[in-house]
Amino acid sequence: MGKRIVIDPMTRIEGHLKIEVEVENGKVKDAWSSGTMARGFEALLRGKDPRDAPYVTSRICGVCYSVHQLTSARALDDAFGAKVPWGGTLLRNLAMGAQYIYDHVLHFYQLSALDYLDIMAVAKYKGRDKDLLAVKDKIVGLVKAKDTFPLTPRYKPDAFCVKDPDIVISAVKHYIDALSMHAKARNMGAIFGGRTPHYQSIVVGGFTQYPDINMVARFRTMLDEQAKFINEVYIPDVLAFGTGPLFPLAKIGLGGGHYNYLAYGALEKDPAGKDLVFPAGAIMGLDPKAIRVQRFDQKKITESVKYAWYNQDKPQHPYNGKQEFDLDQRDAYSFVKAPRYNGKPMEVGPLARMLIAKNPTLIGLVKQGVKPGAVARHAARAIETKLVMDACYKWCDDLLSAMTKPGFKIHDTAHWDPPQKGMGAGFYEAPRGALGHWVKIKNKKIDNYQCVVPSTWNASPRDEQNVRGQYEESLIGVPVPDPDNPLNVVRVIRSFDPCLACAIHLIHPKTNEIRKFTVQ
Amino acid sequence: MDKENVFYEPLKAKGISRREFLKYCGATAAVLGLSELTFTTKIAQALESASKKPPVIWLEGQDCAGCTISFAGALNPPTASLVLDKLSIRYHETIMAASGHLAESAYHNTLRQGGYVLIVEGSIPSADDRFCMVGGRPFREIVEEAAEKAAAIIAVGACATYGGIPAAGPTKGMGLSKALPGKAMINLSTCPVHTDHLVGTILYFLATGKVPPLDEIGRPKAYFGQSIHDNCRRRSYFDEDMFLKDWNDPTQKDWCLYEKGCKGPDTYSDCSIRRWNDGINFCIDCGAGCQGCAQPDFYGGMTPLYTAEGERSRKILARKKAGLIPKKENSGKGVV
Repeated sequence: MGKRIVIDPMTRIEGHLKIEVEVENGKVKDAWSSGTMARGFEALLRGKDPRDAPYVTSRICGVCYSVHQLTSARALDDAFGAKVPWGGTLLRNLAMGAQYIYDHVLHFYQLSALDYLDIMAVAKYKGRDKDLLAVKDKIVGLVKAKDTFPLTPRYKPDAFCVKDPDIVISAVKHYIDALSMHAKARNMGAIFGGRTPHYQSIVVGGFTQYPDINMVARFRTMLDEQAKFINEVYIPDVLAFGTGPLFPLAKIGLGGGHYNYLAYGALEKDPAGKDLVFPAGAIMGLDPKAIRVQRFDQKKITESVKYAWYNQDKPQHPYNGKQEFDLDQRDAYSFVKAPRYNGKPMEVGPLARMLIAKNPTLIGLVKQGVKPGAVARHAARAIETKLVMDACYKWCDDLLSAMTKPGFKIHDTAHWDPPQKGMGAGFYEAPRGALGHWVKIKNKKIDNYQCVVPSTWNASPRDEQNVRGQYEESLIGVPVPDPDNPLNVVRVIRSFDPCLACAIHLIHPKTNEIRKFTVQ
Repeated sequence: MDKENVFYEPLKAKGISRREFLKYCGATAAVLGLSELTFTTKIAQALESASKKPPVIWLEGQDCAGCTISFAGALNPPTASLVLDKLSIRYHETIMAASGHLAESAYHNTLRQGGYVLIVEGSIPSADDRFCMVGGRPFREIVEEAAEKAAAIIAVGACATYGGIPAAGPTKGMGLSKALPGKAMINLSTCPVHTDHLVGTILYFLATGKVPPLDEIGRPKAYFGQSIHDNCRRRSYFDEDMFLKDWNDPTQKDWCLYEKGCKGPDTYSDCSIRRWNDGINFCIDCGAGCQGCAQPDFYGGMTPLYTAEGERSRKILARKKAGLIPKKENSGKGVV
C-alpha cells in the first residue's frame, strides 16, 4: 500500500474540503474527496414561503451568491408560471456579469496564483520600474520584519513554480491590484444588485431595482476599468503562464479526469433566450479532434447517496431527492451526494462550457498542445471572462434602448403570489459550473427543495458502481515526487475553483479516525 | 432621585418596564464594565507585543465566505494594505498560502503565543459536532480553544453572532454569544458583515487599543444605534400608507416597501445612511426591503421575507396604527 497524504483543511477555496490521496512510486494511485461541513439548507426551506428561497439560497455561497439567488428565482419562475420581462432578464444578466468578472479574477490571483509562484523571487528583481520596486520593497520589508503571513508558510516551490524575478514580481503586483479590481467589480454589481455579497434585487418574476440612465452610465464606466484590467493584465497573465512556464503541466494534461463535460447553459443574448453566451450540452468521453456535443436533458440527472451521509436510497432525480442526514452510515465518507448524468460522472465549469461552445480560442490552445486539465481550466476561465464582459456592453445598450420605450417592465407582477401547488426547475451556469435548483410547492409553501451544485458534480464521492467523482479521478496519476509538498494535488483541486459550502456534505467521524493520517 | 431612577424615569415614560431596564443594565455592565476593561488591557498588550502588527486568527465554521468577501471589498484603505501592512493574518483558510498540516501549524504556533485578535465567521452546529469539522476536529472545540488566549474576539456576520440562517435548520447553528457564554466579544451582525463595520472596528483597535462602545447585545453603538426605519428615505411614504405594489411602475418606485416584507422598523443598523459597497446602493434602495439581518432572531424570526403576511409584519403595522412608530416630522422630539 502506498503512502497516504491528507490535506485538511484544503485552503484557498470556498468552504471546508478534505483531500486524501494514496501515493505510490511518486504518483497518486487513489483519491478521496470529502466535504466537512453541512448546514441543511434544503431541509430548512421546507414549509417556508417559496419567495424566501432566492434570498436564503444566496447564503449557500458568499462567493457566488448571485447564481444561487438567480437559479432559485428561475426555479420559482417555472413553478409560479412567471414570465420574466426582457428588462428583468437584462438586469439579472448585468448583475450576473459583474459576478463572473469578479469571481474569475479572484480565483486566478487570490486563490490559485500562489501555487505557481516562488513569491520570494521578487527579492532578486533588478529592474527599475517604480511600481515593481515598490512591490519588492513591500515584500522584502515583510521578510525583514520576520512576518510574511499570510504568504507563508507555504509548500516548498517545485520545478513548475515560476522563479524568474521579472515574471514573479509583475504577478505579485497583479495579485495586489486584483484585490481592488474585484472589489470594484462587486461594487459594479451592486448598482443593480443592491449590494454585495448577496444581492437583494433578484426575485421570482424578475427584478426589484428600477433602473435609470445614471445607473447604466455608472455601470458602463466601471466596466471600462474592468475591461482594461481583463484585456491588459488578466488574460495576458493566464496565456503567458499557460503557454510559457506552465506549458509542461498543460502538455501532460495534469488533472484531466473523466473527460465528460456538462453545461446547462446561461446568459441570454436575445429576448427569446435562443442565443446564449454559454450554450447547454453534454460531451461524453471527449475526443479533442472531433468534439461531439449532445443535447442537455435534465431527466438524465440522478443523485446517488451510496457513500454519503444520508438515508440510503437508490439514485433519485432531484425532484424526488430527500436530504435527511444520517451521520452513522458505515460506508459514507462525504456528505456530497454523487450526481450522475446518464449514470456517468461529469465535469462542470469553464472548461466544460468552452468545450461545449467549441470556443475557437480554447480549441486553438488545445491544438497547440494544451490538454484538457488544470491549466486548460484556468485558460477557459479567462476566455469566458472576456465573453461575459463583451456581453455586458451589449446588455447595457439593450437596457438603455428598452428602458426608454413605453411599457418597459422589469417584473411579472401577475405571478408574484405563490401557487397553491406546483413544481419547477431552474438551470444556470455558476462561475464554477452547472447549477440546478428544484422546488415543489404545496399549500403555497415549499414542500421539497433540492440543489445540485457545481461542486457536487466535481467533488462527488464514488457512486453505486464505485466510479470515482471528477476531483478524485483527476488526481489519479498526478506526480507527487515529494509527499511533504503535494503541490500538484492542490493545483489540480484549485483549478476547479471548489465551492464546498455549496456542496453540503460532512465527514464521517468513524471513517475519519480510520483515515486520519498526517503527512509524514 | 437615586442613581438608578435618573436613568429609569425617562425610559419608563417610553413604556419600558422596570424588569426590562434591569435586564438591560446587567447586560450593559457585563459588556461595557468589567469586560471592556479586560479587553482593553489585553489589546494594549497585544499591540506592544513583539510583532509590530497584531496577529489575527480568522476561523470559518458554518459559513459561506460572504464575510470574507465583504472584508476583501475594502478600498479605502484597500484590503491589500490591511492584510500586508496593518495586520498579521496568521490563519485564514480562504487567503493563506498554506494548506493542510502547514496551515494547522501556523494556527497552533499563534495559539501558543496568545494575544491575537480572533475573528470568527459562520455558526457552530449545536445539534451535532459532526456537522462542522475542520482538520478532523469539531469546529466547536477549535473556537473554544482559540477564544481562551485571544486578546479580543470579533464575531462577524449573522451566523457567527447569533446563529443566522443555520440556526433555523437541522444543524441548529449557534452564534458565539451562545457558544462562549460569559466571554466578551464584539458582534458585527448583518448578513454578511458590512465591510465598513469590520474595517472600522479593526482601525478603531489599531488607533486606540480599545473596543468601541457596544450596545446591550455586543454591537458597536456607532453602527447599530439607530433603526433602519429612522433614517429610511422611504419613511414619509410609510407615514402616508403609500406602499409599493408594482415594481414596474416608476411613480411607485420610491414608495415604502412594507408590503414587500420590509422589516426596517425592527432592525438596528446604519445601512440607510452608510449604504453598502462604498455607498453605491443598499437593500431598500434597490427596491427589496430590509430583511432584518442585523437582528439576533434573523432568519427564523423574519420569515416570510417578501410579504407582510407574517406575524412580524403584522406587529409592525399594529404598532404603526397605535402610534408607537413616530412619524418622520416628529422624530427626535421625544413624541411617541
